Amino acid sequence: MGGFLHRHKGLTPYLLLAPGMLWLTFFFLLPMGFLGYQSLQSGLFPHFHFTWAFSNFSSALSDYHTQLIRSFVYAGIATLACLLLAYPLAYWIAFRAGPWRNLFLLFIVAPFFVTYLVRTLAWLNILADEGPVVRILRDIHVLGPNGRLLATTFAVVAGITYNFFPFMALPLYVSLEQIDGRLLEAAKDLYSSPTKAFLKVTVPLSMPGIVAGTLLTFIPAAGDFINAALLGTPNQAMIGNVIQAKFLESLDYPTAASLSFILMGTILVILLIYAKIVGPEKLTG
Amino acid sequence: MTATAVETTLARPPRPSVASRVWRFVGRHALTVYAILAIGYLIVPIAVVVMFSFNHPPGRFNYVWHKFTFDNWIHWNAVLGIQGALEKSLEVATLATLVATALGTMIALAIVRHRFYGRATTNVVVFLPMSTPEIVMGSSLLALFLNDQNTIQLGFWTIFIAHVMFIISFVVVTVKARLIGFDRHLEEAAMDLGANEWTTFQKVTLPLLAPAILAAGLLGFALSIDDFVITYLNAGPVQTFPIFVWGIARVAVPPQVNVVASAIFLVAIILGLANVVWQYRAAKSTRGAAA
Amino acid sequence: MNRRMTRDELLRRGAIGLGALSVPGLLAACGGSGGGGGSSSASSQKLNKVLEFANWPYYIDTPATLKAAGIHKPTTLKQFEQKTGIKVNYYEEINDNPGYFAKVEGRLSKGQGIGRDIIVSTDNDRFLGEYISQHWAQKLDKSLIPNIKNLIPAQQHPPFDPNRDYSLPWASGMDGIAWNEKETDPVTSVKQLFEDPKLKGRVGVWNSMGDTLGLVILENGDDPANVTDASFNRAIARVQKAVSSGQIRKFYGNDYAAVLEKGDLAASMAWSGDIANLADPKIHWGVPTQGGIIWTDNMIIPLGGSVPTASTYMNFMYDPAISAQWAIGANYISSVKDVKTAAVKLDPKASSNDLTFPTDQTLSQMHQNDPKMLTNPDYNKKWLAVQGQ
Repeated sequence: MGGFLHRHKGLTPYLLLAPGMLWLTFFFLLPMGFLGYQSLQSGLFPHFHFTWAFSNFSSALSDYHTQLIRSFVYAGIATLACLLLAYPLAYWIAFRAGPWRNLFLLFIVAPFFVTYLVRTLAWLNILADEGPVVRILRDIHVLGPNGRLLATTFAVVAGITYNFFPFMALPLYVSLEQIDGRLLEAAKDLYSSPTKAFLKVTVPLSMPGIVAGTLLTFIPAAGDFINAALLGTPNQAMIGNVIQAKFLESLDYPTAASLSFILMGTILVILLIYAKIVGPEKLTG
Repeated sequence: MTATAVETTLARPPRPSVASRVWRFVGRHALTVYAILAIGYLIVPIAVVVMFSFNHPPGRFNYVWHKFTFDNWIHWNAVLGIQGALEKSLEVATLATLVATALGTMIALAIVRHRFYGRATTNVVVFLPMSTPEIVMGSSLLALFLNDQNTIQLGFWTIFIAHVMFIISFVVVTVKARLIGFDRHLEEAAMDLGANEWTTFQKVTLPLLAPAILAAGLLGFALSIDDFVITYLNAGPVQTFPIFVWGIARVAVPPQVNVVASAIFLVAIILGLANVVWQYRAAKSTRGAAA
Repeated sequence: MNRRMTRDELLRRGAIGLGALSVPGLLAACGGSGGGGGSSSASSQKLNKVLEFANWPYYIDTPATLKAAGIHKPTTLKQFEQKTGIKVNYYEEINDNPGYFAKVEGRLSKGQGIGRDIIVSTDNDRFLGEYISQHWAQKLDKSLIPNIKNLIPAQQHPPFDPNRDYSLPWASGMDGIAWNEKETDPVTSVKQLFEDPKLKGRVGVWNSMGDTLGLVILENGDDPANVTDASFNRAIARVQKAVSSGQIRKFYGNDYAAVLEKGDLAASMAWSGDIANLADPKIHWGVPTQGGIIWTDNMIIPLGGSVPTASTYMNFMYDPAISAQWAIGANYISSVKDVKTAAVKLDPKASSNDLTFPTDQTLSQMHQNDPKMLTNPDYNKKWLAVQGQ
């Protein structure tokens, strides 16, 4: 096999890509094609007709741009929060945890094995209005006398942050873990303060992890609906909630489909801008 | 050289000030403290889940502590369907994670290490599943399956297919983070020493990639075992654990759900601890071998 | 929807090498009658040995609930099995109407069965009407359901199924207001719910249009069974006001009861059955002063289901003694005549259980939703908008 690959070097990438990309083609692209078809339909359930209804997109955008923008704001804040919270932890696991590192990786991921609903119900319990946390916060006047943590924007963003934490932490760890310790030592010798060493050497070397983590957090978070549904009020509804409702409750498949493409398209645009900022090689190597 | 000159040359650098030493001490341990706090934050709701698995609720809802009981743990599968759902979830997650990790790693290798026609497009296509809302991804996949009723029935395999589909993207991005900036010198050294590409890949590349593949696999497993929307639409008659929980939680969450959730968590931690012991042994044996 | 997609178009959409997949089949998937969908299979006319019954959770009597009520009989399911020899596979897989509809709609729209003989859907949501109007529900075999004569008059001619050809009630519940006595004094009207400043931010309503707007329409003095644009808009405006002022905390599904018990909600629109099942003395339920809504979950036989087997089961459940036992065990309202008399024989406490065996006086305060309101797309849009969607 080595010989065959050697002679047909150009084939290697295609062979590597083939299984995965075929899977994605059949089980993602094809359904997406169908979704595209739906997005250009009009009519009422179940009598939809394909009419090149590009107006679906413009009316969806004008009706729901608030939720769309809100989704990106929430996802952005949550991604930033995840980055700030996860980076020190990932750093610690990569450099200080020694033989315990896999255990701590499991600690990061294990809450996920407990199903979203069970985790969130526990948070609903902990952060309840009459619960200990809120009471303390009211006593120390961080919250007003009738203040609450749940059913607020804070709760929704905090929920997104909590639930996407592993998606930031694990790529960060992956990237930090490979940094040669000697580089860090050299940096400490080179720079006058550990902070400078960190900023000038560690962070740039972990950039691929930062980029990966931000993508893995921001992209799915933008389309999330469940945190807003369980932890927010109607004023926190995200685009995911709209799409969910349009699909399930209104049976308005064309609008749901066009909104999905608007979401995907916007994310791609953001991706392109992001790639330009961090440098495209950070996305592809 | 005179003795004094030697002393001067070898003179120790001035000792850092007390403040700077204290700062460094705090700094060194602050990180560990932070790490503990961060893990604590992640685990806090799980602690509540475990706690309430020992609760004996008066009515249907398990949100107010009533009294302690072991009953739920003893009769953990008293709730109809919970055991089957758990088994299905674990089976699908294990299988889907293995397949998706393999496929995703290969894609990552191709994208990062080769320049080929369609590279940028491939990159974009890989990102797309992550950005698609689950409800539309699930329902369009369902439409696809329903078209091919002779080849595939809704059930375990359709769940498997769906899970692999959405896990691949996450694996690709995670493994890429390791591949970008991968030091190729080690591979070049191996090849200089006479290894062919396949052996190099096996003995050098793969082991170095292992932490990233493991991390990607963990993420994939978590995604699979936690998925609800896509699974619900494409499961046909099969029930996975999240589907089961969502179904029963619509009205009330029996403590047995807490028991199962706690058990899953505990098993994961025990596996992690086992790994710690294994790592210690591995480290000791390499030290011993080197000695 | 009959335009064939050309191969070029499909390729342009990014798919490659489609050989195996059928393009017309893909088109047929867009809801509605696709080509080649078979009619219900022949087996749907035979009496089977097994009944596949999909239902909502906590909707049937269980050994635990019967024991709590002091009834020493096997469950109604077990009694059915013993009497007819037909085994029942009971699936508590319906969690909400839209989700289940999305799950089964694909197969039903192609004329395929879903592996169930009976499913249960609610009348104050659009989906029950959709199942019937799309011809995805099979006609009952009334010759096998002589007990259909026990159906109470109020349920004999519902708007979505005027001759009861396709459906029969399974359980009813009442929409009212529940409050937590530790958090507030009794809340007895929607007006109080929406306008009492002491309740601000701690009020819950449903995300289901029929339920919530039904109560608000009644509070406005309009008729929920005959909704006009004007009465609808009045109700929506009232809800919007309560949302904007922060009075309403959230639009809930079935999950309000736990939040109410915890105290994060002081009062909420609530279903009688949920509160009865909570069995928490500090949570009270009452009919709002301006009236309540009564909803009914109905059994239907989906395509591919066995009509004789399902009809036999329905007949069994319409025996007053059986229905009484079910009602006591499940804590929901039965639509069978004289069920209260039968219930008292099983459990004397039934005579005072107004939530499960409502008096005529209570029932007289109940109204039903207008199904035209539920399917109106404009109303639907406005309802989602008030929820921020």
